[in-house]
Amino acid sequence: MTDATTEAAHSTGSAVAPQAEDPTAFGLLNTADHKRIGRLFIGFSLLFALAGAVTDVLVRFDLASDSGHTVLNLETFTQVFMFTRDALVFGMLIPFFLGVAIYIVPLQVGAPNIAFARAAALSFWGWLVSFGVLVGAYIGNGGPAGGWDEGVRLHMLALAGLVISLIVGAICVAVTTLTMRAPGMYMDRTPPFAWSALVTASMLVVSLGVVLGQLVLLYIDHGYGRHFLDGNYGVWPRIDWMYRTPQLFIYVVPVLGVAAEIMLATARRWVFEPLALYFTMGLVGLFGFGAWANFGIAGEGADVVDGLEGIVLVGLYAGALAGVGGLLALLGFTVWQSRKWPRPTTAVLAAFGAGKLIAVAALIGLIGAGVDWLNIAGRGVDGNAPLRFTTWVTGQQSLLIYGAGLLGVLAALHWWAPKIWGRRLSELAGWASFAAIGGGAFLAWLGPTLSGAFTEQPQFVYNDPQLTTVYRSLIDSSAAEGLSVVGGIGVVIVLAGIGLVVLNLLVSVGMGKGAEADTDPWGGLTPEWLLDSPPALGQSDSLPQLSSGTPLLDAELNGSVAPAEREASEVPA
Amino acid sequence: MSDTAVSTAEAPQPGRYTVPGPPPRPRSQLVGTGFAIAAGSMAVAGALGHYMARRHLLDDPGHDWLAGQSVPNPQLVYALITLLVSVVTAHWAHWASRRGERGHTWVGMAITLVMGFAFFNMVMYSLNRMGIELGAGEWENLAFAVTGLSLAILIVGMFYLGLMTLRSLGGSVGRDRSTPLGAAVFFWDFAVLAWAATWYVVFVVK
Repeated sequence: MTDATTEAAHSTGSAVAPQAEDPTAFGLLNTADHKRIGRLFIGFSLLFALAGAVTDVLVRFDLASDSGHTVLNLETFTQVFMFTRDALVFGMLIPFFLGVAIYIVPLQVGAPNIAFARAAALSFWGWLVSFGVLVGAYIGNGGPAGGWDEGVRLHMLALAGLVISLIVGAICVAVTTLTMRAPGMYMDRTPPFAWSALVTASMLVVSLGVVLGQLVLLYIDHGYGRHFLDGNYGVWPRIDWMYRTPQLFIYVVPVLGVAAEIMLATARRWVFEPLALYFTMGLVGLFGFGAWANFGIAGEGADVVDGLEGIVLVGLYAGALAGVGGLLALLGFTVWQSRKWPRPTTAVLAAFGAGKLIAVAALIGLIGAGVDWLNIAGRGVDGNAPLRFTTWVTGQQSLLIYGAGLLGVLAALHWWAPKIWGRRLSELAGWASFAAIGGGAFLAWLGPTLSGAFTEQPQFVYNDPQLTTVYRSLIDSSAAEGLSVVGGIGVVIVLAGIGLVVLNLLVSVGMGKGAEADTDPWGGLTPEWLLDSPPALGQSDSLPQLSSGTPLLDAELNGSVAPAEREASEVPA
Repeated sequence: MSDTAVSTAEAPQPGRYTVPGPPPRPRSQLVGTGFAIAAGSMAVAGALGHYMARRHLLDDPGHDWLAGQSVPNPQLVYALITLLVSVVTAHWAHWASRRGERGHTWVGMAITLVMGFAFFNMVMYSLNRMGIELGAGEWENLAFAVTGLSLAILIVGMFYLGLMTLRSLGGSVGRDRSTPLGAAVFFWDFAVLAWAATWYVVFVVK
């Protein structure tokens, strides 16, 4: 290495000599390899998905009785309800796609490792420990509405730990995409998933930063007199915007990236206007941000901003719908241009379904926000409860977390399993998972949505006793009970689908029953398919010499066969 | 390295970009710091927004959140001016570092850190003089939390500056090696701005 490259490497602090990775389990504890960190995130997030779905089953069936708790009691209901949201969003949805991004993005942009690899490892361990503390807080009767005061504050600390850890991981992904791309990989040629990861990471940084500031205030006030908190129940309404739409749209932007990767690969074609691809994904992320404007800060002075709030919500959903609709139209047009009907693999089915569900969620959200806007003057007085205070919200969460989110998880796992573990997952089990997750998510959405719209069943009855009294007098008990059962059955089916996914991974990868994958088993277009499946552990000391985000497609169009002839350019060590 | 340099200088092929030399990733730390600043900005904005929303809800014109306490304005203003001057000295240090002037770099960083400590001395004196009692009321709790958040960010900024100063003492100066110090100075700019916003909202507007 010349002096010039030594100096360049020294100045950046990012390019260091290739490090040997300890292949044993002990090596996991001190690993700084993006591939291992990504696998850890993926594995644990699937376990937490199971936990979240199990507790959601309890919540749904508990809501089936209006006259009293059939499964839980008042105190445990609130705890289990909130834990479900924590587990599904901060335990599964965000960390799963963060893990996939930590694994895949460096390979896609031709980087030897993730930026700030030690920080990425810290992100994982911080997330895992914080989630453990969070569970401990709930078990000890803590959580936002718990009876154990120290436990309530412990939950806040754990939540802050989760948020900080995920922000750190998101920064690593964003910096990798922005500054560590291989020569020739310009921003306007970035693979769709890497771009979607950049959008989500950027939006996570700015949106989750808001809750950090709020948690500081809540923690201090809760510990010293609770002057503006109305007891332990006052915590949840101030932070639950993180678990609702439109904020949920930010978390599922990577699903759009996965869908774009898969659909373009099956079409063997690149979009006619790449900037439109990037712009539409960015639009979804951009309009996902804004939750702070209605449930968190502005909620403190809701009487002042009600009118503005309604317009803002309508605008946010309309923007998100324009983004996802535009993206799907672009991808659909590209597939149509190719005149190739995609083979119905699990990845293709799940990607197609997930993309569509995000569009449906945005459309339904727009309808709900419009109804609330028109109805806003009658809130809680003339019997017109706003939809966003009813189980309509649970329906939205089901659509985006169970529907789009989990189908995106399924698509990403089946698509990249060969690259992550070197083996393909069982297609039969994949189809069964797709059917279970898709069908279950539909029921999990249908029940609470109808119940919220027609019986005004409150989503969460204990955060505001005054509203609870009004709502309870309005609920059509038998209809609400029946629809809650429908939603509960849906979550049970989703749970079975998640179980199948985990079982598929254990059998195909853990027990080695899955077919061994070659370098490019799917005919992918993006640079990770130039590398071995899976790439060797440790920091790469060579990079593909790239000219675009789709080198394999370029090679195909140029009439050359790229995979076997890929060039490796030296990286300054 | 030489092989790479040759191969990357090939003539462009149709539909392909010319590969421009060794992998450029010179500004990872600066960009990463930018993202950290974005998160910190939103945290401060979230806390100040919450603070202002609560104040707005009082719906009592003329109500004084301070409830008879006096704010030691001179000390707080001097503290802010000290911070603003430290921004100048921090940029002086970075400017010198980029030109390889080690002496100026170290003097600039030393003055910046001393001013940082002086700032904390003044602010702690002011807060002690005000006698804010945590838990005594809503204003006390909110002011303590918001002020504490901004001070915590300043502490992180000083720690970051200190680490990068040690790095420059180790020889990391010069045009190509000053990016880490520039990143730390960038964070210091943000920390000072965050304090200025907090000072205005909590101690000026009240």
